[in-house]
Amino acid sequence: MTTAAQRKTDIGPPSYEQFLPPVIKQNYGRWKYHEILRPGVMVHVARSGDKLYTVRAASSRLMGIERIRRFADLADKYCGGYLRFTSRHNVEFLLTDQSKIEPLIADLARLGHPVGGMGNAISAIVHTQGWVHCHSAATDASGVVKAVMDDLHEYFVERKLPAKLRVALACCLNMCGAVHCSDIAILGVHRRPPRVQGGLKRICEIPNVIASCPTAAIRPATVNGEPTVEIDEANCMFCANCFSVCPALPLADPLNDGISIWVGGKVSNARSEPTFSKLAIPFIPNNPPRWPEVVTSIRRIVEVWAKGARPFERMGEFIERIGWPRFFQEAGIEFRKEHIDDYRYAGLSYKRSAQLRH
Amino acid sequence: MAQSGNNGTPLLDELEKGPWPSFVTQIKEQAAKNAMCKDLLALLERSYREKVGHWKHGGIVGVLGYGGGVIGRYNDLPEEYPHIAHFHTMRVNMPSGWFYTSASLRTICDIWERHGSGLTNMHGSTGDIILLGTTTDQLEPAFRELTEAGFDLGGSGSAVRTPSCCVGPARCEWACYDTLHLTNDLTHTFQDELHRPAFPYKFKFKCSGCPNDCVAAIARADMSIIGTWRDDIKIDQAEVRAAAQAGLDIHRDVCARCPTQCMEWDGNTLAIDDANCVKCMHCINAMPKALAPGDDRGATILLGSKAPIVQGAQLSAVLVPFVKLEPPYRELKDLVQRIWDFWCENGKNRERVGELVQRVGLGNFLEAIGVEPLPEMLAYPRDNPYVFYEEYLEAEGDEGAAEPAAQ
Amino acid sequence: MAVTSETVADAMYAMIAEYQGKKKLKATDLTKAMIEKFGEAECDRQVCKAAIRTLIDSGKCVYTYFGGSYIELPHAEGAAQG
Ligand code: SF4
Ligand code: SF4
Ligand code: SF4
Repeated sequence: MTTAAQRKTDIGPPSYEQFLPPVIKQNYGRWKYHEILRPGVMVHVARSGDKLYTVRAASSRLMGIERIRRFADLADKYCGGYLRFTSRHNVEFLLTDQSKIEPLIADLARLGHPVGGMGNAISAIVHTQGWVHCHSAATDASGVVKAVMDDLHEYFVERKLPAKLRVALACCLNMCGAVHCSDIAILGVHRRPPRVQGGLKRICEIPNVIASCPTAAIRPATVNGEPTVEIDEANCMFCANCFSVCPALPLADPLNDGISIWVGGKVSNARSEPTFSKLAIPFIPNNPPRWPEVVTSIRRIVEVWAKGARPFERMGEFIERIGWPRFFQEAGIEFRKEHIDDYRYAGLSYKRSAQLRH
Repeated sequence: MAQSGNNGTPLLDELEKGPWPSFVTQIKEQAAKNAMCKDLLALLERSYREKVGHWKHGGIVGVLGYGGGVIGRYNDLPEEYPHIAHFHTMRVNMPSGWFYTSASLRTICDIWERHGSGLTNMHGSTGDIILLGTTTDQLEPAFRELTEAGFDLGGSGSAVRTPSCCVGPARCEWACYDTLHLTNDLTHTFQDELHRPAFPYKFKFKCSGCPNDCVAAIARADMSIIGTWRDDIKIDQAEVRAAAQAGLDIHRDVCARCPTQCMEWDGNTLAIDDANCVKCMHCINAMPKALAPGDDRGATILLGSKAPIVQGAQLSAVLVPFVKLEPPYRELKDLVQRIWDFWCENGKNRERVGELVQRVGLGNFLEAIGVEPLPEMLAYPRDNPYVFYEEYLEAEGDEGAAEPAAQ
Repeated sequence: MAVTSETVADAMYAMIAEYQGKKKLKATDLTKAMIEKFGEAECDRQVCKAAIRTLIDSGKCVYTYFGGSYIELPHAEGAAQG
């Protein structure tokens, strides 16, 4: 290093206060109401009468610095240099001058960023790294998301769904994105037990490896006089816990990796309580670059919901009302043994009443 | 040498088509001037062809003194893709609420141009700015420049993970406490726990300003802090009538969807039995101009949510039904400390707090951290009669086997 | 407290060296072992925390990550390369 400056640590994040536009500083905590003016554009009105316009645009999440600099340029041009990102990878421009909304949207369109994702629409898909950067991915993340969002684009830029639609993708059960409470969760799955590599003992501690398995499917073994482990394949449910603690137990396998689809979860407390997504489609093989089977399955699920749901009904609330058997039927999903839970507390998911539609 | 460039990526090229912004275009844009991105593109094309990833575990890279904030990554074909033989990620702690100025974003871009691939995620799943891909020797210089610019690394490993929050009072009329201030305060208070992993496993905080829970706190944080209120919903009857006039079917779409059926609409006045309102937000979401959370605001604290790894997914469960959240948040931080003490003492390797509570039982856990059990913590009381009583009564002179083994 | 964080750091270092290659130790393992070794009256979590910081800041030990964070002696980069 050229500078002799003191090395700094533990300074923590910069204070958000320095990044808030003046209109927010002046009306912090004193907003009165908001209104969606058109897809992707809303106004927040403060008690003082001040107005803040937000324009929400999609991003690809994986972005180069050139693109971020373009966003910075747009913020300078239209918003006094202020912008933010949402928890779902959208970028939001914060304006006080209503007349600048149209030109901003036009500039965003030229850059290839659709505006939308507000209200009764699909927002961007939160997702993980996939083949771009992750060691345990069972599928790619960005590619699947791109293909699905190209297809569902109309539901992003318009507001024609019964309620909001939250879709998330995780490329393995690690679920860096904790996708398990989404209207639709796209989850990468492995389906072949780990293959024990030679020399495991040199890089992994056998007791740790054995303890890592939730179903006790890993046993100590000796191969060619060297201590190692063996997998009781019948007890393996491909969670990759063992691989997380020991790189000598890879599971990835082109023939057996793929995607599962889960539906009906939510985190909001509105109306019904937060709930997990439930299994809709156990397995779809990876079919890059555009995963057409995944795309069509998701569109079908969205359309069944969009057509049948009452106003404000989220995916899960809709399915609860019509019942899972009918949902499977309408979405054209074959019901299989894999839909039946067989892990802890599985019995709680059995139908324990005679209330059935015939 | 890996093939890339023109026509070298026929599969990925397919992902440049269509209306949604393309990550492939982004990588290509950087590949024009950065060799790492060129190799990345070629390796990704190979993954698309082979249907399998080519990344290996991290391990031990980081910046001096920290146990987190850098995710080590190596590809398994380093001879063929030498520029990304190392391709480590730096997690940079974002400002609360993900607010930026154009100047601050440019600063980060410039640093990453000098020291990394130029690729980012805005943002990662936990909320950090993700600087995607650099070599081991660039970690310290990048860190030094980041801290000079006022940024620090976020958390990874068995530590406090970067806390995150919804936009809160900065832009949302429903925020029941200052999510940005609390998040920033917790992050600064727990810097040591964030940078130096000392826990059995990770610990996440997420702060949502109201029960809409825009940052998915209840599903994604060990401690989920969700704003709520205790008094009456504020009603502007004229605006209710205006909403009805504008076409909202208040009876069908608001009252009938209320989970406790505590609202009534006679076509002129909306009545809410607030004692039975569970603060679900539905009616307020449906009529943002007419209704608002009350004035006695605070938060519910819930504990234990997590993704499936290791023992299965959980949602957070109520620990404190209502707490006022004002700086310096003493009560909350004391509670956090008691939870960590018990967890560090009793947690198994890679056991999240939620799993520990399941294993020892909520009742025992509450006793250990000194929190009174309350009916609000349960969806329903037990329906299983196998109760562990810790003591029983003895008649005078009873010769039962209840003698303690050792006095 | 009668023991200094330097004493605890030395004891921790000895323990890490002894277990290297046999068992990966976490901060919590080290802390428990030290409190047991020196006794609760002599050693607490704060001292252990300071001791770990001494070991890491001096470069005598490093944090590693294998599905969880551990404290080990420094070894060649890319230890995870199977
Ligand atoms: S993948 Fe999961 S279930 Fe299978 S052996 Fe590994 S830890 Fe056990
Ligand atoms: S969680 Fe509530 S307060 Fe926070 S942004 Fe969402 S609606 Fe607003
Ligand atoms: S907030 Fe929910 S529970 Fe309360 S009155 Fe409104 S709809 Fe009913």
